[in-house]
Amino acid sequence: MDKIKAKLRALVTPKPDATASRIRRRRAITAKIYAKLPWITTTLFAVGYAWMLCIPFSELENRIYIDENALQPGQVNTQWEWSDVHHADMYLRQLEILRDSNATSEQRADFLANEFNKLGIASSTQSYTFSTSSSTAAGTNAYAVLSSPRTSGNEAIVISASWLSRIDESSTSDPETINIRGVATVLALAKFLRGYSLWAKDLVFVISDGHLDGMHAWLSAYHGVSQSNMDADYLKLSSGVIWTALNIDYPGHSFSHLGVFFEGLNGRLPNQDLLNSLRVIANRAGVPVVTYDHISPPELPSSLPSFLRDNRDVKLYAENARSVLRHVGYEARGSGSGVHGLLHQFRIDAITIFAIPAAGPHGFHAIGRVIESTLRTANNLLERLHASFFFYIMTSSDTFLKIGAFLPSAVLVSVAMMFVGLGEWVRAGWVRGPDRVAEKAGSEVEWLKRRRPLMKPLGIVLGTHVFGAGVFGALNAFADHHSLLTPVVFLVSALPITLSFLNSAPKPPTNEIAQLSTLLKSLNLCLASTIISVTSVLNFSLALTLAILLGLPLSLASPSTSAAVKTAKYACYLALAFGWLLMDTEVKSALWNWEVLGVWVAPFVCVVYAPLVLQAGLVTIL
Amino acid sequence: MLSQWTRHLNHALWLTTVSNAALVHREEFHEDLVLRPLPDGRVSSKFTFTTLLRDATPRNPESLAVEDDSQHYTLFPLALGQVLREYAITEMHLTLNAGKWNYDRWGYPDEPGVGSGAELWAWMGDGGPATVDYRWQGLRNALAGLFCASLGSLDELRTTSPTLAFEPEGTLPNWTQPHQLRHASLPSEHVCTENLTPFLKLLPCKSLSGVASLLNPHRLFDADWHGMGVHVSYDREDGVKVRLTFQTVFDPVRTSLNNRRDWSFASLFDRKVEQLCPVAETSRVRLALPEVQSYLLAPEYTIQDNYALFDMAASSQAFQVSMDWPQEPKFQYRTSSNYDDASIVPLSVQRTLRGSSQARGELSVTVTNHEAVEIQSVYLETMPWLLQFYLHTLRISHNGESRGDLISNISYVPPVPHARPTTLQCIITIPPKSTIKLTIDVSKSFLRYTEHPPDAQRGWDLPPAVFVPFKTDHNRTLLGTTRYQRIYTPTLLADLATPDFSMPYNVIILSCTLITLIFGSLFNILTRKFVVVNMDPPREVAETQ
Repeated sequence: MDKIKAKLRALVTPKPDATASRIRRRRAITAKIYAKLPWITTTLFAVGYAWMLCIPFSELENRIYIDENALQPGQVNTQWEWSDVHHADMYLRQLEILRDSNATSEQRADFLANEFNKLGIASSTQSYTFSTSSSTAAGTNAYAVLSSPRTSGNEAIVISASWLSRIDESSTSDPETINIRGVATVLALAKFLRGYSLWAKDLVFVISDGHLDGMHAWLSAYHGVSQSNMDADYLKLSSGVIWTALNIDYPGHSFSHLGVFFEGLNGRLPNQDLLNSLRVIANRAGVPVVTYDHISPPELPSSLPSFLRDNRDVKLYAENARSVLRHVGYEARGSGSGVHGLLHQFRIDAITIFAIPAAGPHGFHAIGRVIESTLRTANNLLERLHASFFFYIMTSSDTFLKIGAFLPSAVLVSVAMMFVGLGEWVRAGWVRGPDRVAEKAGSEVEWLKRRRPLMKPLGIVLGTHVFGAGVFGALNAFADHHSLLTPVVFLVSALPITLSFLNSAPKPPTNEIAQLSTLLKSLNLCLASTIISVTSVLNFSLALTLAILLGLPLSLASPSTSAAVKTAKYACYLALAFGWLLMDTEVKSALWNWEVLGVWVAPFVCVVYAPLVLQAGLVTIL
Repeated sequence: MLSQWTRHLNHALWLTTVSNAALVHREEFHEDLVLRPLPDGRVSSKFTFTTLLRDATPRNPESLAVEDDSQHYTLFPLALGQVLREYAITEMHLTLNAGKWNYDRWGYPDEPGVGSGAELWAWMGDGGPATVDYRWQGLRNALAGLFCASLGSLDELRTTSPTLAFEPEGTLPNWTQPHQLRHASLPSEHVCTENLTPFLKLLPCKSLSGVASLLNPHRLFDADWHGMGVHVSYDREDGVKVRLTFQTVFDPVRTSLNNRRDWSFASLFDRKVEQLCPVAETSRVRLALPEVQSYLLAPEYTIQDNYALFDMAASSQAFQVSMDWPQEPKFQYRTSSNYDDASIVPLSVQRTLRGSSQARGELSVTVTNHEAVEIQSVYLETMPWLLQFYLHTLRISHNGESRGDLISNISYVPPVPHARPTTLQCIITIPPKSTIKLTIDVSKSFLRYTEHPPDAQRGWDLPPAVFVPFKTDHNRTLLGTTRYQRIYTPTLLADLATPDFSMPYNVIILSCTLITLIFGSLFNILTRKFVVVNMDPPREVAETQ
């Protein structure tokens, strides 16, 4: 009995050395992890980067579906007829006369407002001016509000067309192609839609001047947002809360496919149900829909062996990869892919329907029917679109990637960077003591703790970010003397390396104080990793780009003794940090986006990205 | 022939009414239809069915304790009469409207209550065994049942007492206790056939004869604007009057094939008046004559005060009015500047809720005075507590400069969260031929999850603001007591912070993770015992022991 009691007591009362052994066990595990850290980080990096390459694989993608049951896309008989096409043609003729007579913005807007008015739709115009550091943009928007019968006018749908088409987006010269058929479509639609009493939401027609600037001015005035460099008229007419918006871009004579553009400013996306509805509706109407303007499959490099080039999977991969890259290109720049992108910041689900110019077979008849049916679908909504996805990548018009299929790639790289950074932190804090020879073989290595003074590396980190902010300020202030600014920035950022040569006696590592470069690298990596993780849910494409640009370069930064290696390394980092300064048009458009549209990518690159790379560069020379 | 028969029957009814009992009051029924061609090609119509209970008085709430006299009516709607007696209502106005009344293009409506959705206001005598609020609750529930409308939701969260803007239409009896006003509106209420059917049941001829036979739900509910109203008022000379109204704005241009504004009863209502309502004392059809003379009107009419008066009894066939514009191949809309300048109404008001944030915003009201004299106006906001005003941010500006002197007599009842709405009443002065801008910062409330409606992602409908302009001379004294009509602004939709109810799974996962993380680490720290652990190798420890 006593024995049992003793045994029970022994079970209940902890052993005197239990805590100690637990701590020891924990230490052993941490030691093992630390010993295997290079393996872990390498694996994480490898998986992360491999995942990025896998994103276009068709195995990861899902087929689209309509999530919101209220939408009922394509369930209505469309009433848009050839007589409406005739009206559109009549409007087109008038617009062509207007275009050929080189009418000013105001004349155009007055004409458009008058046309809306003739239909009995209340209309007005709005003049605006944007002044940026390099240029000014001015224009006049025309808009009209069709108060739908029997409704309180609390919700609205916007049907818009910008005067200039998006078709010139990739060309370097100023855009000049006029979205003339898009504008004609909106006018004819206004005439047509007015004849029905079934609209449950107000219809707002906006013909914005310019490409993006006009719509931005109109939206800002509509939502009462003021901007220091914007001077926009007060809107005489108002309607309710805008829920959905369709932007029509139809620059050519006729079209073969409808292209969908959906990326918004600063990585915002519209609810996927809107895209899916359009796809379903156009499918029923017999109009093919593609993402962007990707009509033909991408051309594979001819160096590829023919069995690969003809392989179905490879073709599919290439096609998906092109869509993903296009998406990342728009989103990482933060500029969005068109006029619709401006609306997302006001919680409006918006897309651009782009009639891809071709010899045929579709025209006003097809686009009118598709838009009518899409509007009917949007009209069905009792609530905002909220059911479907807000985080997605469209690989084609009927397949997409869910967030779970792409988000881990960037996050894994960011985790790897965090591990490397924490490893550096440990390495900075502990140094291997002299081996205890007296003890038996296999005894534990003694680790000595050393001080990790943080003020200096923190100062450096802060300094680089302040320098980045300075560069950004200079970019804004001397936008016109951009060619002069670039060498100055490079010269200033090359200063540290010259200083390091002048003061060329690097302090030998001691057992008392941690090395500056190790501390700086640790801080740098932890900061970069956090930024990538946070950005990944705000703007995945930007996070992906950061993960590619920062991941390995920052982790591999290490000081070297040879002056030549040092210079070469520093030059590489410098190129990575400020190389974008040489891309003149990119810089200009990014700055314009920041000043006018409030896209934060330009300041982000200057104040966050470049300094991070610069810190890695400093690690190599310290 | 038809009219003779009507008069005969009327007389017979009158005799039976009188012979019944001395308590029974004389009853009268009048029907009236006013048509008004509007400047933008639309046509407004207003049906009024008035039942008068001669020399009757509303029930004094003091008498609620004793049993009421039994009610015998022949024409007066019994269902409504019972409700009015049960809750001792002196004056009551219920309107159910759909659409946005466009004052700038359509002018003042014939019936002033045109706020979108449902609006109910009542003047009730105080005192007696039941409180005013108790009777108010009973009234709205009874009316909800009577008219198949969700008037039960006009609860204390929406009830206010804005006496400045909602003065009694009739007179209030001189009882010992004063009268009290209760007002509530529900902008999200939809109006449809289920409300019209009980409405028609209150009429003595239903929709079988008389002008009421034009009330064809298929056409009424396709109109650009439509609204029904039940108005009960008391007048010392006349007695208790029940006015049932139905107002519509049709758009003949929209429905016609070649954009003409010609119309007739057949085109508007898809019906004609086949027979007269025999019990109606008067049946009038009037048409407000437009200034332009190029129209053709049928049938024969007499002109009285710029109105064309039609005699329904004169026609031997089914009666219908038609109006044609033969010189117009197609209706031409006015240019937009024409609408701005034409002062159909003295004030035009624009009211918007700015800001895309779900936490705060700015209520912006723009008021334009079209007249050459200064106008003062009562401005009333009855806002549910969902939107809370920061009163210190109330700014009024004229031509870009701040003008605090343009606003006066502010009375403000702050909201009580989850309980009481805001009432903001003030008098604003609008200088002649100019526009003033009024802004106030608002914060949007964070709701309990049970307070969200089933369609949570839609947002919340906010009631309209009300303006009651009155003319003043230069010394800012009231010119007589005549006021303009009430002007209702459009309603608003506010986005409040809304959880994604459609994905409870995600919400549960996220909140559980957060709670576990916070609770777990806190619990760990709170319950942990800190001890000094000897980390010497155990073997050595054993040796020393």
